[in-house]
Amino acid sequence: MQRRTFIQNLAAYSAIGACPALLSPSLAASVSSVSVEQLPKLEGELTLYLGRGEGGLYENVLNAIKKRNPNFDLKIRRGPTAALANTIVAEAKANVRRAEVFWAVDSGAIGLLTEAGLAQPLPADLTGQLQPEFQFSNWAPVTGRIRTLAYNTERLSAAQIPDSIMALPESDLSIAWAPAYASFQSFVTAMRILSGEQKTIKWLQDMKKRSKRYAGELGVVLAAERGEVDVGLANHYYTLRLKSGKPDATVDLAFTKNDAGCLVNASGIVALTKNDTAINFIRYLLTTEVQSYLASEAYEIPLIGNLSPPKGLPSLGTISPPKVDLTRLANLRPTLDMMRKAGVL
Amino acid sequence: MNKMATQFKLLLSFLSLFTVFSSSFVSAGGEVGEHVNHLSDNLEKYTGEVNWIIKKVDGIVTRYEKDGAKAAHSKAVVDHWEAVDFHAAIESNYVPVYAQIWQGLYGVKESIDSNSSIDAVKAEQSKLEQVLWQALGAVKLAAQFQDRGLLQKVALREGGPTNSLETVDEIKTRLNRVVAKFAEKLVKESVDIVHDTYLTLFEGIEGDLISMNANLVEDLEKDFNVTLPVALASKSSVKQIQAIVSSMGKKLTIARDLLAKKEKSKKDVF
Repeated sequence: MQRRTFIQNLAAYSAIGACPALLSPSLAASVSSVSVEQLPKLEGELTLYLGRGEGGLYENVLNAIKKRNPNFDLKIRRGPTAALANTIVAEAKANVRRAEVFWAVDSGAIGLLTEAGLAQPLPADLTGQLQPEFQFSNWAPVTGRIRTLAYNTERLSAAQIPDSIMALPESDLSIAWAPAYASFQSFVTAMRILSGEQKTIKWLQDMKKRSKRYAGELGVVLAAERGEVDVGLANHYYTLRLKSGKPDATVDLAFTKNDAGCLVNASGIVALTKNDTAINFIRYLLTTEVQSYLASEAYEIPLIGNLSPPKGLPSLGTISPPKVDLTRLANLRPTLDMMRKAGVL
Repeated sequence: MNKMATQFKLLLSFLSLFTVFSSSFVSAGGEVGEHVNHLSDNLEKYTGEVNWIIKKVDGIVTRYEKDGAKAAHSKAVVDHWEAVDFHAAIESNYVPVYAQIWQGLYGVKESIDSNSSIDAVKAEQSKLEQVLWQALGAVKLAAQFQDRGLLQKVALREGGPTNSLETVDEIKTRLNRVVAKFAEKLVKESVDIVHDTYLTLFEGIEGDLISMNANLVEDLEKDFNVTLPVALASKSSVKQIQAIVSSMGKKLTIARDLLAKKEKSKKDVF
C-alpha cells in the first residue's frame, strides 16, 4: 500500500472518528505524528539489513512490529552499519538485490547508498511527517543525536564554556575526545563541510595539544565526570544515561551555537526496492509509539512532529544546530586523510 | 556414584561452554569447514589427526635430541597443527582447550629454539600430548551433544547477537578468542579483537548498563581500553591474560544479570 491507499485508510479511520484531524487528504502532508493504530497491517516478506547499535532496542522495536503483524515475515541480516552499506553497494554492482530496506545507525552510511543511486524515493506524506530540516526525498531519518560538550559541574559553569566549537582549543580547558569514534568523525566531516579544510586541520592540530584521547565517547563523558578533564566531546545520550544511573553525577551538557559542535546527526532508513511493504514498514518506525520508545529507552531524539525530547535534553528548538545535508557526511575519506595529516589518527 | 556425579557435572559444564562457544563462531584464520557441524562423522578422522600430530612432534623432538635445534625444524610443530581439520573442530567448540594447545605447541617450539635440555623439551612435549587428548575428548563429548540436538549449529558466516543478553554472550566468546589468539602468538590480532569487541558490541550495551551500575561500566571500560590491551602488548603469559579475561567474564556475568532484569522491566513498544 502506497500513499493513495494509506490516505484512504486514514480517511476511513477518520470516518469512524478514530482520527478526525486527518479527514482531508491534503492535510496528510502535514501529519505530525501518526499512531501505529492508524497504520495498515504488514503482510508478506521483507528483507531488512540492520546496522548494529543500541544493544537490542532496535530489535525490540522489530519484534514488536512482527508481533503486531503475524502475517509479516521479516528477514533480518545484522552487521556493523558501514560493512552492511558496503555489502549493499557490492551486491547491487553484482546485480544481486537481497536487501529491501536498510536501517543504519548513522546517516553517513545512508549517504553511501543515495550516492550510489540505490535509494528509492519515499512518498511525500511519509517524509512530511518529519520535522522540515529532516525531510529527504529518498531516505527517512529515524531518530537523532546531538553533539555536545559534557562538562564537569564542580570545575565549571556552562557560562565558562565557549559557545563556538572553533574557539574551544583557544580556551584554557582540558578536553577529552575519541577521534577513532564514528560519531566524532562524522562531526569532523560536518566541520570540514561548514568551515573548510584548512580551518578544520588547524582546529584538529590545536585540539590535539590539549586533548586526552579515549576509545569511546562514554569513556569521554566518564572522564569529564571524574574530573580527569574539564570538558569532553560526545553525543548527548551518554551524559543523560550516566545521570539516569547516577543522579549526583558531576556532569552536564553544554552546546555550541550554529556550528558542527552541535550537529544533529541521525539514524536512518532507506528503501532499496519499490515495494509497498518496505514503505509501510518505514511508516511503523516513524510512529508516535516507536519514536517515544526510542526516546525514553535509548535517549534518542524523536524527529517526528512535536514529540518530546528525552528527559534532560532541551528541545531542538532552543538549540541552534547547523544546517548540513546529512548524506554528505558519507564522504569520510577526506576527513580521515585530514585527521591523519593532523596526527590525531 | 561419586564418579558418576563428577562426570555429570563435567557434562553440564561442557554443555554450557559448548553452547556459548559454538553459537557464533567465525574463524579468523580461514575456512572453518562444514565438518564442524558433523562431528560424529569425523571423529575417526580427528583421532587419526591427533595421532599424526603426536607422531610428527615426536619426530621433531627425536631429531632435536639427535642432531640439534636447526635439524629439528621446530616451526613445523605449528605448521602440522594448522594443517589438520581437528584444529577447527576444537576451535569452534571449546576455545579454552584450543588456547592450551597453542600454549603446548609453543612450549615445544620455544624450548627447542632456546636449546633447552632434552628433558625440558620432553616435558613440554608431554604437556602438549595431554592437552591434545583432552581436546579430542572434548570434541567426542561435543559430538554426542550435537547428535542429540543439544549443540547450536556453528555459524559459518557472521550473524550477530539480537539482544543485549546475546551481546554479552558474544563478548565473552570473543574474549576467549582473544586468549586463543594470544596463545597463537597473534598479538596484533588479539588486540584487534579487543578493540572491535569494545566498539561493536560492548558500546551497544554500556548505555543501558551505566544507568544501572556506573561503577561496573567504569571497571569494564578500563579493562577493555587499558588493562587487557596493555597486558596483550606487553610480554604477559597466557595465564596472566586468562586471569584478566576471567575477571572480565565475572563482571560481564553481573552485567548480564542486570540487563536481564532490565529486559523484564522494559515497557512495550506498542
